[in-house]
Formats: sequence, structure tokens, C-alpha cells
Amino acid sequence: MALRLLLPALLLLAADDPLKVGFAKLASFDYQEGMTLPKEVTDLDEKLVEIRGFMQREVPGSEPVNSFLLINDACGCNGTPKLNEIVFCTLPDGVTTDIKPGVVTVSGKLYVGEENEDDVVIMIYQLDADTVK
Amino acid sequence: MRVNALHVLLVLAVASPLLALLPLIQGPVDDWPKEVERACASPRYGLRLAAARKVANGGSAAVPAVVAWADKNGRNALPQTLVDAIADAATTEAPVLDLLTMWAADRDFYWRASALRGLALRVRTAGYRRVAILKLCKAHADDPAWLARTHARFGLALGGDDGAMALPESDPRARARLPLLLLQQGKLPPLQPLLDALGDERTFQETPWGQQAAIETHKTLKAWLGDDHPLAKGGAFADTAQALAAMQAACSKKSGQALTLPQVARDRDVTLAGGVELLSCKNGDQFVQWTDDGRVFLGVDAARELTVPAAAWAEVSKDRTALRLPNAMGAVVCDSIRLRWAAPQTHGKAAPASLPADATNWLKRLAQAIEDTGDAKAAADLRAGLEQFASR
Repeated sequence: MALRLLLPALLLLAADDPLKVGFAKLASFDYQEGMTLPKEVTDLDEKLVEIRGFMQREVPGSEPVNSFLLINDACGCNGTPKLNEIVFCTLPDGVTTDIKPGVVTVSGKLYVGEENEDDVVIMIYQLDADTVK
Repeated sequence: MRVNALHVLLVLAVASPLLALLPLIQGPVDDWPKEVERACASPRYGLRLAAARKVANGGSAAVPAVVAWADKNGRNALPQTLVDAIADAATTEAPVLDLLTMWAADRDFYWRASALRGLALRVRTAGYRRVAILKLCKAHADDPAWLARTHARFGLALGGDDGAMALPESDPRARARLPLLLLQQGKLPPLQPLLDALGDERTFQETPWGQQAAIETHKTLKAWLGDDHPLAKGGAFADTAQALAAMQAACSKKSGQALTLPQVARDRDVTLAGGVELLSCKNGDQFVQWTDDGRVFLGVDAARELTVPAAAWAEVSKDRTALRLPNAMGAVVCDSIRLRWAAPQTHGKAAPASLPADATNWLKRLAQAIEDTGDAKAAADLRAGLEQFASR
């Protein structure tokens, strides 16, 4: 259950094993622009992680994409995803993928922190994605 | 009365500097068409989100620009972010209520459930419009789309109709969603469905819908419990059982309700061979899963089980294995149909009017097999739902 995901992980991982991270942790707080992000998510900054979620295009279309949103809710049933409910994933330059149906597992290096554009926070979780399975 | 020219000159002399300051006093005039365009078509999600909030906070002044954009690009091109932002804004100005009402009443609008939520949230502040909102909520209280139905009941409950909580509900997602929304609005509902949701680990073809509801439920209960949350001072639960027991105790104490310890809900212990997930904000969601030997399960929670006779199931399976489907069929915005099975490995998702004819025909045969087991309603619902997705 969700609460179990909040438990501190006793993970004895090899140095390059990705850390399994869930939206239960990433989205566990009420995000407000400019806030100090909780330590439990800032601790994930620049970590190699593996996250399960649903792929969504950032802009409508049907072509393969180099970047996409990873979200926890495929149907929009919980309303518009908030910025701490989205991981903005980017594949290496020149690499594209189709938007896959169902749950996928994305791994790569996670960056945590507010990213601004035009004086607006546009993301707080960025992932340099290595694999999408 | 004769106007003294000297007085006129005096008034003009005093007023001119003030007139010059008028634009500063009023603030910059918003360019609503530009803001709506940003809210709908910015390439960055964050920019769309920020612009959507600005448009929503513009209230009635921004409504004509929203309507004009939808007229030009199609109502279903409006992003959910904008509809949700308008739903969440506090304004009860007539043009905003008119807009939400128009959207909520449009069966073909993808985000009509969000519009209904927006109206529900205003039912206590809408003045004389309250009656019309409640009438609309009443009309949608048994809507086939679970989210529209839930938001309609939410409006009724906020409007004082406690009977809305007692209406029959077959969808487990809705059973948790309504009390969750009410608790978020400071209205204490029966908490047992929320406690039960915390222990839900059920899935549908790998979609962890139980966990999704559990995460939202825990966030809401955590906010409501505040300092009474078992982990308010930090720490961690030892395991799931301890977490559920601690939450039960905390919720019982704060609410005064007699709450039972929830059980962990898991998927049936059966090997599923495939499934079809039809998500429709128009006609409602439908879920079908099956085993290799013809056991068919209906509902997101696989609550209803049917058995198709072996010979009939062999025919249905033969037709299915002949299908070759791509991963993506059409551009999915909201409503979609997902088909997934193990042999041959298939996982495809189609937008409305994008499902190939052979797949549509196979699903009609599946509906016929369901009807032949005696469940005519489930078969009819599946056939009706397919109409939206059949390629044209």
C-alpha cells in the first residue's frame, strides 16, 4: 500500500543500481511555488533512479518523442497533475520513443529543484532518461 | 445653471494629473486572448499551468476569450489544466457559472466531470444559481461516467443532500473519491471507505488503481489529521499492518466514528491472459479481463465473473490471436481503449474513432460471448462503448 512506500528504504544497492522511487514519495507533499522542498525528495537529487508511471506527451501529437512527462495517473481522474506529480523525462540527444500504453519503468539520473522559464516554475523533477521499459 | 469657464479650467487643471495616473491605478489591461492561447498552446506544461491559473483568476473578463478559443479550435482541444483551473477558482460570476454549466452538460466534452466539480465547489456560494447547480447535479447523480457521477453527488452532498452519500455505487474508485472530496472541503464524511482505500493494492492489467487511490487518500487524511497523524512528528511505520492500525486509531479518535481495521485488498489469485480497458468520460469506463480457459471478469476490480463455454471461447480466442495492433492508434487526449494480452504479445491504445475494424469486430464478438453467458447488460454496455472508438 501507499504507506509502505513512505517507509525508509533499507537498500544495500551496488553503486550504480538505480534507486526505486515512487510517486508516493515524490508527490507526498503539497507543492507551493518557491517552497523549500522536503529533504526526502531533495535527497534524491542527482541520484540514479527507477520510476514507474504513465507516459504522456507534453504537447499533443502522434510522432515519437525525445521528451515526455511521467505521471502517476493515466486518466486525469485526480485532476490536473501538480508539478510534484510529474517527472519531466528527456532521452539522450537523437533518441526517440513512442508513447507506450500502460505502466512503464523509466530509469536515469534525477534532478530535483525548481526550474524556471519566463519567470514561471515549469518543473521540479527532471530525469535524464536512459531506458524506458 | 451657467457654468463658469474659470471653474471648468480649474477642474481640468486639477484632474489632468489624476487622469494621467488612471492606467497605473487600474493596472495593466490583460490581453485575455493571448493568455488563453498561452494556457492552451504553450509548448511547456508549466507555462500552460501558470497561464491557466491567470485566466481562471480573471473570472468573467477572461470567459469570452476562452469561448472564442474553443469555438476556433474545438471544445475538446481545451486542455484539462485550463478547465480544472477555472473549476478550482473561487469566482461565482455569472459568465463563469454559465461556462461551467455549458461544459458540464456537454456529454461529448472530455472534461465535463471537472466542470461539474467546479459547479459543486460553488454550490454554497452561488446565490440564486444554487438551485440550478443542484438540479444539474441531480441529473448527473447516476451518470455512467464514474467521475461525473461522483462530482455530481459531491455537489449534492455539499448542498446539504446527505442522501447523496448513500446512493448505490459499484465502482470502488468512486466509493473512495466522494468522501475524499468532502473531507477536502471540511465536511466530515463516513471515513471507513477512505480507510479501506488505504489498504487497496488492486490493479488492472498492471495499472495500480488501488495504489493511486491510496496515495491520494493518504494525502487527504494526513492533511485532515494534522498533528494527530501517527507520523506527525516523523518516523516511519514498521509495516503495512501497523500503518493501517495506526491510521484506524487516529481517524477513529479524531472523528468519533466506529471504524474497523481495513483489510489489504489484493487482486484475485488467477492467471489472467489479457484484458480490455475502455476509459470514457462520455459513456463511462468498462473493464474486461479473461483467462485462457474462458473465465471472464468484469469491472476494474474484476468483481463479476462469467464463464464462456469452451468451444465458444476457443473461437473468440482464435479471432483475437489473429489481430495485429500497433502500440498507438490515433492521438489520445482523454478517452481511450487499451487492449493487452500475452499471446501474441499485444499492448495497444486507441483514441476515439481510431480502433481498426478487425479489432472492433473482435470486441463485438467478445460482447456476444458475454451476452451468451446471460449478461445482456454488460454486453450492451460494451457494444455501446465501442461505438466511440470504431475507426470511421
